[in-house]
Amino acid sequence: MADGEKPVRAVSTVAALCCLIMAVPAPAGPIDLAALRGRVVYRDFWASWCTPCRQSFPWMESIRKSYQDQGLAVIAVDVDQDRADADRFLAQFHPGFEVLFDPQGSNAEKFKVSGMPTSLIIDRHGVVRYTHVGFWPADAQVAAQQIRELLAEH
Amino acid sequence: MRVRTSLIALAVGSVLLAGCSSVGVKPWQRDILSRSDMRPDGAGLDDAIDEHLYFSKEASSGGRSFGGGGCGCN
Amino acid sequence: MQLKSQPAVLRRRLIAASCALLTTSATRSQEAPEGGFVGRLLKEWQLESALAYYHENGRVQAIEPVVSASHDYDDGGNVSFNFTFDSLSGSSPNGALPSRAAQTFASPSAQSFATARRLYNVAPGNLPADPHYSDARAAFGGSWTLPLERLTRVTLGGKLSIEDDFYSGTFNAAIAHDFNDKNTTLSFGISDEADVIKPIGNTPVPLSNYAAFDKEGNKSKNGVAALLGLTQVMNRYWLAQLNVTADRFSGYLNDPYKIVSVLDAGGNTTGYIYENRPEVRTRRSVYLENRVGGARASAGLSLRYMTDTWGIRSQTAQVNLRWWAAGRQQYIEPTVRWYHQTAADFFQPWLPNTTAPATQFISADSRLANFHALTYGVKYGFDLSDKLHRGGIRAHRTRRVLSADTQHQHCDAGLAAGTRSVSEPEGRPGAVRLQLLGA
Repeated sequence: MADGEKPVRAVSTVAALCCLIMAVPAPAGPIDLAALRGRVVYRDFWASWCTPCRQSFPWMESIRKSYQDQGLAVIAVDVDQDRADADRFLAQFHPGFEVLFDPQGSNAEKFKVSGMPTSLIIDRHGVVRYTHVGFWPADAQVAAQQIRELLAEH
Repeated sequence: MRVRTSLIALAVGSVLLAGCSSVGVKPWQRDILSRSDMRPDGAGLDDAIDEHLYFSKEASSGGRSFGGGGCGCN
Repeated sequence: MQLKSQPAVLRRRLIAASCALLTTSATRSQEAPEGGFVGRLLKEWQLESALAYYHENGRVQAIEPVVSASHDYDDGGNVSFNFTFDSLSGSSPNGALPSRAAQTFASPSAQSFATARRLYNVAPGNLPADPHYSDARAAFGGSWTLPLERLTRVTLGGKLSIEDDFYSGTFNAAIAHDFNDKNTTLSFGISDEADVIKPIGNTPVPLSNYAAFDKEGNKSKNGVAALLGLTQVMNRYWLAQLNVTADRFSGYLNDPYKIVSVLDAGGNTTGYIYENRPEVRTRRSVYLENRVGGARASAGLSLRYMTDTWGIRSQTAQVNLRWWAAGRQQYIEPTVRWYHQTAADFFQPWLPNTTAPATQFISADSRLANFHALTYGVKYGFDLSDKLHRGGIRAHRTRRVLSADTQHQHCDAGLAAGTRSVSEPEGRPGAVRLQLLGA
């Protein structure tokens, strides 16, 4: 993402804003867009029927706890068509991170989700820097390293 | 004759495969497909027991399930 | 064509009941495993078990416990094992026809009528069947799936089956690749099977006279098979699968215990000869399956067409419909299966004594006859509230009917021999299976 960074950054920021606007706000309260800028964002797309997602949730909770103070925001976007399925899943995990709902899949479409789950690591300027398709513990170690790297940037 | 049949089969197969590229769903739309009753190998033991019983009484056997479908995760 | 007391088409019911134990299914989401080694084992492995009880009215009955264990690896791989034990007992038809005279047969282990430890007599008009038939089988299988990369998987597997007169080993390998965002999956598999046949009482010389007790040594057969499969997600509610398979078996393909009645012009049984089948059999089949589902229901339809070099052509069609109750904790699933096959070229219920079967292929085994079968059943499944255990109960019933041609052939012999009923070679009656499943 080295070339043409400025326009890409702008487009990404606008896209991120649009997505945030279009996603149905989580019951936790309205999203503070200003608060997200300047933070490293781990955006994960999940569904109640996705088995690897059951492993990813405890891990996401642990990185949230570890890196929240350093500026990490974890946002989990649910693509379940039926909200009841998602609620049942969330009742098992009680995540501390932000959960958004995207039953129409428009958010997923915008971020070009190509597998379930998909997670995007976005830097402090709103640029998507890393994409992970699928969840594996070994791959999660790599993602954690990438988060640390982006947190170190300004 | 055998060669011609094989070539026709190969041609049909290629068309099928090419046609398949335009059919399907997005990765986030696999909720129903991920259920065990929607998987070709979802019934496991039931199917194995059935196969064994039919095999002992009939001249045909096998041919079925091989995977694919499902939630498409990871 | 009139028969004396029975209707022209005889349908007999077979009852089979089977019970199953509950399944323990562990989800990978379980956090800290508790309960020590066994507890961890139960959480990491998915265990499934079933006990099938199969009963054929007046014939054999079988008890078959099955257990399987499966473990998913973090990288997407999987290893699984299964174990089956089959115990079959009862009375098994030997391929001979009923006769107007009483018939006597020796158990398979006999070397002559004089020295036979066990003979069985068949009254006039009854279907000859060995009443002491019993067979036990233990089978063990394993398979290992390993992902090559995100979209490709390789599976290697093997099976071993042991009976007192039959040993079989199979090795199989398959590769599957996903395309189009995993909407399309192409699979290719091959398998190789090697069997050793050691009939009780030794292998009878094919076409030899039954009373001569001509025996020879052990036999073997081998098979290779290949399968090409295409699985396609059609839309959010519909999955389709198309498989093409071919297999080729060569070696000793006879049933060593089956004989064929030899009749004279008057319809009297003058003797028996052992059956004889070709030494090669190639089969090809096409299989199409569709699964359609919604929030509360799903349906499956599958079709299979098979042809082989023995002249057998078969068609199979099966429909399952599943309805979930509100809350998706339990479901009911009725099912119907229709099967039809044409007879093998060399299938013949009896042989006129004027024919000299020196090099002829002949078998009276009803498994090679022209018949159709209808199976209907229902399955009930439920989830326990802890979401980790599932159970089920299933019942099926099958009715098999020989083709009119075969029945006529039997009638010709039967009428001439003065029997009271159309002969019912093995497989003619239907089967009902009641099965409690671990799903």
